[in-house]
Amino acid sequence: MEDSEAVKAALDRGTIVTDLNAKTKDEVFEALAGRLKEQGYIESVDSFLDALHDREKEGATGIGGHVAIPHGRSDTVRKNGIAIAVLHDEIAWESLDDTGAKVVVLFAVGATDEGSQEHLKLLSLLARRLAKADVVSDLLEASDVDDVIAALTK
Amino acid sequence: MKIVGVTACTIGIAHTYLAQQKLEDAAKAAGDDIKIETQGTIGVENALTQQEIDDADIAILAVDVKIQGEERFANHKVVKVSTETAIKSPNKLIAKMHEIAGK
Repeated sequence: MEDSEAVKAALDRGTIVTDLNAKTKDEVFEALAGRLKEQGYIESVDSFLDALHDREKEGATGIGGHVAIPHGRSDTVRKNGIAIAVLHDEIAWESLDDTGAKVVVLFAVGATDEGSQEHLKLLSLLARRLAKADVVSDLLEASDVDDVIAALTK
Repeated sequence: MKIVGVTACTIGIAHTYLAQQKLEDAAKAAGDDIKIETQGTIGVENALTQQEIDDADIAILAVDVKIQGEERFANHKVVKVSTETAIKSPNKLIAKMHEIAGK
């Protein structure tokens, strides 16, 4: 599929982590926000965490099938990015079914739309992939960064 | 049967597109033709023409916010749900639409 290359280009090895030992949603948020900060996607970890929590209040970000897609929209986001965590153990997460989260795909999006249309388009492509059962089952089995990228770009 | 629809969520970057994909896959699995317009942060994509809407047996609006052009569906059978429902139970939803459309 031609979209695969575009999705691949949007993924950053520096913001993908596998076998993450986290016990709570907040620990996952902190780990991924830390990666986003390190890689220059966000200015302030705290402001970004606030944006994530604001979205969580609006409704479940667990999309079912052990996957969660929290997203934060904030002016602390310098460039739009995607951070992914495959957790060592599934944790509790509000979801559309009764599962928790084993895979967390986090979108960081700037507050202004300017110049980010192309990237937002990529996020939409990625979201569509996460609706596919075979993509999700590969992600759940992913043991390293290459597995994660392969699952999302196959 | 022919299904048209619109998906739109509050932030417009994730659930809109998840719902689109889930509905498309469920409809295809049921042997239906489907076209879903998305209204997200990046604007309207895969836009439906009035002709496509008029030709459809039924419309699905999986929306959490007010959408543009809802009046296009005024004279049609419309099922309106949240994006969450479309993501969670797409197959059930398509089955229900068959019931309502009588096909």
